[in-house]
Amino acid sequence: MRLQIDGVRVEDVRPGSKTRLKGKILYIDTCDLERALLSDKRIKSVKIDLVRPGSSVRIVNVIDVVQPRCKTEPEGTDFPGWLGKLNVAGNGRAVCLEGIVVTICNRFSHRSYSAILDMSGWGSELSKYGKMPHVVLDPEPVEHVSEREFELAAREAGLRAAVYLAAAGSSKRRTGTEIFDLKPALGRKGKLPRVGYCYMLYTPQHDYQGISDPIFYGGQVTEILPTIVHPNEILDGALVNALTVRGMETYSIQNHAVIKELYKRHGRDLVFAGMIVYAATMEPLRRQRNAMIAASLASNVLKADGMVLTKCYGGMPHVDEALVAEACENMGIKTTMFVHLVHSGSSLANSALFSSPKLDAIINVGQALERIVLPKAEKILGGNPDTPIYNPDVNQTAGSAGLDVEQFLLAGLHDHLGSSRIVAVDY
Amino acid sequence: MMSNELRVVHYVNQFFGQQGGEDMAGMQFVVKEGPVGPGIALERILGARGKVVATLICGDNYFAENIDRAADEGAGLIADFKPDVFLAGPAFEAGRYGMACGAVSKAVACRFGIPAITGMAEENPGVELYRHDVYIVRTQRSALKVTENLAAMVNLAMKILSRDEQSRLVTREAIGRPSEDGYFAQGVIKNEYTRKTAAERGIDMLLAKLGGGHFETELPLPVQSDLKPAPPIEKPLSRCEIALVSDGGLVPKSNPHGMRGRGNLVWAAYELDTFLPNDFSSDDYSIAHTGYYPVYVLEDPNRMVPADIMRDLEREGVIGKLHPFFYSTSGNGTVRNRCWEMGTEIVKNLQQRGVDGVILTST
Repeated sequence: MRLQIDGVRVEDVRPGSKTRLKGKILYIDTCDLERALLSDKRIKSVKIDLVRPGSSVRIVNVIDVVQPRCKTEPEGTDFPGWLGKLNVAGNGRAVCLEGIVVTICNRFSHRSYSAILDMSGWGSELSKYGKMPHVVLDPEPVEHVSEREFELAAREAGLRAAVYLAAAGSSKRRTGTEIFDLKPALGRKGKLPRVGYCYMLYTPQHDYQGISDPIFYGGQVTEILPTIVHPNEILDGALVNALTVRGMETYSIQNHAVIKELYKRHGRDLVFAGMIVYAATMEPLRRQRNAMIAASLASNVLKADGMVLTKCYGGMPHVDEALVAEACENMGIKTTMFVHLVHSGSSLANSALFSSPKLDAIINVGQALERIVLPKAEKILGGNPDTPIYNPDVNQTAGSAGLDVEQFLLAGLHDHLGSSRIVAVDY
Repeated sequence: MMSNELRVVHYVNQFFGQQGGEDMAGMQFVVKEGPVGPGIALERILGARGKVVATLICGDNYFAENIDRAADEGAGLIADFKPDVFLAGPAFEAGRYGMACGAVSKAVACRFGIPAITGMAEENPGVELYRHDVYIVRTQRSALKVTENLAAMVNLAMKILSRDEQSRLVTREAIGRPSEDGYFAQGVIKNEYTRKTAAERGIDMLLAKLGGGHFETELPLPVQSDLKPAPPIEKPLSRCEIALVSDGGLVPKSNPHGMRGRGNLVWAAYELDTFLPNDFSSDDYSIAHTGYYPVYVLEDPNRMVPADIMRDLEREGVIGKLHPFFYSTSGNGTVRNRCWEMGTEIVKNLQQRGVDGVILTST
């Protein structure tokens, strides 16, 4: 498995008569893009907006943020299971437009919350997406398409747009190249520790309408047993975000911080021994079974000395993750877990949902529910000024002055996969 | 007064308010314009930054007779002064004074949304009661360093009122950690910016752990006391009274006890026959719990609170009696110590009513 990502730096997006990259500006023929997206018969129309950082715009009903990527080798294998035919991701070459993103809104979903994104003011400074130009997609369903079906259509439209845009960069000179290849780690005298990564992909506890979101090669993961997946597959489109933003947008997955950091240190400080994926569960027996199998894979297949574990959004998944970590520790594998806090009151010690003396190396990625008050935005995309924005105590809308939101709703602020520079501390 | 000078209102007791000693501890509220007693030093410390526009004085005993009422009364008396900041005491180790400072500061903070800061010694009972609601600067037991203490209180106030782009806090509050700014920890968790990404920190930490090096966890875990399970019920089940308890957040439609879907702190007892009769209607319920998809429980609450089956078992004589009350709470992001308290409170109720066993259902 060898993945080469050819990065092409883009600094601005502008409307144009033809979609092409000229220097660092991506000109987009939005009619042509819409036509490409309308190949999905569930979609009636797509409003496409090109937004620059600094404009007083608030994007609401955000369900995902995607980095434009397009496989150049083998061609036509983008986001397998969604767009292209089923093909193992993680091999070959892809072009990546760095510095811009596709943001998909779904104003027709009735889920309890969806994310927002500010393009100016404090909100834009907090989010890693706030300083990038956005191609914002706001699709509308054809009559009689169910809410659930349209969520899938919107998700696919985002992926399709990401590929369409990146294709404009495929013949351009790359501004940077990343190569992901787990060559045997050579060099250095003395044994390097083997470090593996255990990746919790999903939790079914919030399943909307009781249906799990498909995320892995176009399929659901709630019933999978812990299994080995090559980290390149994650970087190359095998995995996408669920159908709502929960601190793990597709962009974060494409740029998976823990995987990239392990790669960076491979051969230097450690041997990246491989990756296990699994899903959290609400069934106690399955949870224990998952922990046992994951630890066994870590020990017997990855032969790991240490494991890094991350989780997805939710309180219950801490328990799943802790059981996996404990099972690993019991097999002599040292672990570091990534957690987050789901409330603001009391102290850190009072917040843990598990307790075990061996789980003594924990990273916390922040307190998801801390509130911030964002300034009024002049223009709303993906919704309108009356679109309600979730707050546990007050009713408020997108056009409100002083929008009081919990931080997890601001896309690009928190990241379960490790890219954020935040920690929650006792005060 | 200059328009950007802070308007400070200062609270002191009868002694520091120069009204008298213990003999005047029963005096009611008095408001004086300008600074009194330590307020003079306070105004000197403020300098160009502000003025003590009024001093609120009250007797420690009068306040202690009915703390909440007095706090409200005191807060009401200062409204006309339009304070930007409220400072109380410091009370050092004086218990009644400390309680009064804490209570009136909390009332002012709630009513006016302004920073309310006081100062106490660690031994003061007011610390534990009020540190969550009010900034309490740590002082010594005696009034020896009162000027320093007042300066620390003023500094804290200035910090709270400012927003700092360079602040290490995501919320941009300019406040420092409790140990840095000399106040008692408030029992809140705030997000700080870090130099390294979580991924970098995580792998650093794991490598340190693998190499036997030093590392510090970012989440200290609670020390779990060894909780022994209760022994089996000795009485035959056919003579036992069994109660239903749940933390799944099932409540009447209007949620009369205001249970929160996240971070809930209350529980309630509902009479089972009226709350969940056999001929229930789904429209009569709400779920105060955002941690699961509630549709199946709303369709039939018996799925989570199995009253129907329990009634059958009672009728068949398998159990002696179904306890007439259902104990409901919502456990989603509720802090551990409050969970413990709620459990203890519910158990006390159950024991008083002679319940022998509990079926505890979750989600």
